[in-house]
Amino acid sequence: MNLRATVTFGVVALFGTTLLTACGSNSANTTKATHKTVNVQIASSLTTMDISKSTDVVSAQTLNNTNEGLLKFGKNSSLTPALAKSWHTANNGKQYIYNLRPAKWSNGDEVTAQDFVYSWRRTVDPKTASQYAYLFDNIQNATKINAGKLAVNQLGVHAAGKYKLVVDLNHAQSYFNQLVANIQFYPQNERAVKKYGSKYGTTSQAMVYNGPFKLTGWNGTNDTWTMVKNPSYRAASSVRLNKVKYWTVKDPQTALSQYEAGKLDITNLSGSQVQQYTKNKDYVLRNSASTYYLQMNEKKQPFFKNVKARQALSLITNREQFVDKILKNGSTVANGVVPTKMQYRDGQDFATASADKQMTAYNEAKAKQLWKEALKESGKSSVSFDLLADDTPIGKNTTEYLQSQFEKLPGLKITNQNLPFKTRLTRESTGNFDMDISAWNADYPDASTFLDLFTTNNEYNNGKWSNKQYDQLMKTADGAEANDATKRWDTMLQANRLLTNQAGIVPIYQQAAPQLVKSNVKGVIYFPTGANWDYSKAYLTK
Amino acid sequence: MAKYLLKRLFYLLLTLFIVITITFFLMKLLPGTPLNNQAKLSKSQIAVIYQQYGLDKPVWQQYLSYLGNILHGNFGTSFQFSDQPVSYLISSRIGASLQLGFQAIIVGVPIGTLIGAIGAVKKNTWVDTTTTIISILGISIPSFVLAVLFQYFFGVKLHWFPIANWGSFIFTVLPTLALAVSPLAESARFMRTEMVDVMNSDYIELAKAKGLTKIGIIYHHALRNSLIPLLTVVGPLAVGIMTGSMVVENIFSIPGIGELFVKSVLTNDYPTIMGLTIVYSVMLMVVLLITDIIYSLVDPRIRLTDKG
Repeated sequence: MNLRATVTFGVVALFGTTLLTACGSNSANTTKATHKTVNVQIASSLTTMDISKSTDVVSAQTLNNTNEGLLKFGKNSSLTPALAKSWHTANNGKQYIYNLRPAKWSNGDEVTAQDFVYSWRRTVDPKTASQYAYLFDNIQNATKINAGKLAVNQLGVHAAGKYKLVVDLNHAQSYFNQLVANIQFYPQNERAVKKYGSKYGTTSQAMVYNGPFKLTGWNGTNDTWTMVKNPSYRAASSVRLNKVKYWTVKDPQTALSQYEAGKLDITNLSGSQVQQYTKNKDYVLRNSASTYYLQMNEKKQPFFKNVKARQALSLITNREQFVDKILKNGSTVANGVVPTKMQYRDGQDFATASADKQMTAYNEAKAKQLWKEALKESGKSSVSFDLLADDTPIGKNTTEYLQSQFEKLPGLKITNQNLPFKTRLTRESTGNFDMDISAWNADYPDASTFLDLFTTNNEYNNGKWSNKQYDQLMKTADGAEANDATKRWDTMLQANRLLTNQAGIVPIYQQAAPQLVKSNVKGVIYFPTGANWDYSKAYLTK
Repeated sequence: MAKYLLKRLFYLLLTLFIVITITFFLMKLLPGTPLNNQAKLSKSQIAVIYQQYGLDKPVWQQYLSYLGNILHGNFGTSFQFSDQPVSYLISSRIGASLQLGFQAIIVGVPIGTLIGAIGAVKKNTWVDTTTTIISILGISIPSFVLAVLFQYFFGVKLHWFPIANWGSFIFTVLPTLALAVSPLAESARFMRTEMVDVMNSDYIELAKAKGLTKIGIIYHHALRNSLIPLLTVVGPLAVGIMTGSMVVENIFSIPGIGELFVKSVLTNDYPTIMGLTIVYSVMLMVVLLITDIIYSLVDPRIRLTDKG
């Protein structure tokens, strides 16, 4: 019996290993996509089609391709006109005026300036309970309306005729157009919202569309849905695909098998798959506007008020080694909290221009020296801290790696705590942590979405780092220089360098979105914030 | 019988009430909010949204209003799937889980029973050893390993079945097989143990002494008596499988409720957690009741009365 069992087990194990190894060498068995359809893998279900309630990237990208707003993002987050054919500012940058071009909803109604007014009011209305209402905060009265202190019709946006939209801001905001290109600022058809009531946006039928595609085949909970070309789209002739079909495939290995079997044209890669495919001709690495950084709680652990202690932690972190040898998933080193490939000016990348390569380079000797000085200055011989992070495989990799690095510093003891996402968030926001791996992803492609977080009174500044010079820089950038793009850019570069240099937070890595894309799929537009994807110009070659 | 059923129904409702109550209060102890965008919402913004959902009220008030709502058949709306009624969310996704679970039981249990019975009859021979190995492997190899192997072998290599997603019957074959292995192995193991026991009992000896054929003894006496305890395992096993396996549903991209349950707990989707807990509990209790009724049909010694 023992011998037999061993042999049987051995055979099964061998069989299994052979199969698993064979997975890697399988050659692509591509079937040509027919009828101009692109099959796209997506890792989670579509949860809503209500513009005011969308919170995730799946609904955002579906909405972005089935609807259209004033402006939209092109390659490298450049702004391109959509429904707005022209726009200008007035009142010293506090008023934005958009001139619209004619367009139609899929129910035959005209798209008018009033649809924008209605949509924005609906999102800001506290009754809607939108989780993105804060994007509207700079529009006059938005915060008061959202707090229930003013009627929604007091919102600083109005239609001056059918095709003219006027927006009044509290203060000049140089990146307001970057906000407007997000799906939250898209118009909504009041007649449809009223008609479908509580069902609005919960199925593909209970929604109207004004974008390049219309959604079909989504019953509200199913895992496949299709965007078909919208004949009533204003520029329908420029849309070259007939269909974009989405498949929810949550398991990365399954997705890869489906891609190899020719069932998918675009799929995401994760974990060890990335390394396996970096040399594949279909491999495309997309950068996310999302940075992971170490946050040190100066309120709970005043030891971290010592700049040398924080700098030591930054210098002892070997970012290259971490992303290349541990993560190996396409993530890149972060030389500052603002991600690369997000914001450009005159062809210059903000993150590259403001990178502090010295403070983010591995320097063990200097780190140890700074750490010893910090200990001495605080009159301590040893310290021990908890390090908090997500309980995902990547979160665990991060804490394990950082623990091994940090403990090279004399007298430092680290205890890792890996927690479920929402638990970690709660611990962060209540200040119940010593050190924490936090992440921020950009809502809009402007460095301020990251840099604002670390001003003294910002609610998300959970580490409570405080620097007067930094506060002043950010105040100037969004105040006196709000209408001077060049000066503002330089000021924010300074702020970012200061943040990294003072190790107010310690940037670790920037997340990436590696993909496989069939070589005959062309013209898909990717941008790293918000909805990420635009298929309106996509097409298939033979 | 009617009286017995009424009594069981009363206990069922009582149990359900206790389950709902405990789950509700435990769930409220989970840290974090049910809001997907929690990371970017300030405390005051969260307060505004909480007010709309009545989440700003004391937990006991929320509990009472939840009870009131479910008595009116209103299970609330999901947070993950914005505005989607939980009853619709579950009803539109439970079909796939039920179908797969049912098919897995239909495939797994009879084959397992047969394998177990053969093992018991041929006790301590090579046949027994083989069946034991099969059941041990079936129990110890996790379903996700088998799922991936099936997927690769029958889907990618042989093109016999689709690799993943949900559609016609052919899409259900691989996930059914992956799910069937565990009930197959469980029932084989259980059946063998029971049947070996029964085969050693006095009445089998008596039957042998009476000169009945071996087939007759096995079929009429041994098999039937071994099936009764098997029912105890198969019922709950069936519920476990039919309420969805997160792993298998994930691997085969099946729109079921297995993953929905796990994700609703991770995201604090309170109404969905409650809805699925109720569905799960009701199914389990109903199956247990049915098992008890079947008991009385299979074994005439068991009577469903209150006396003794």
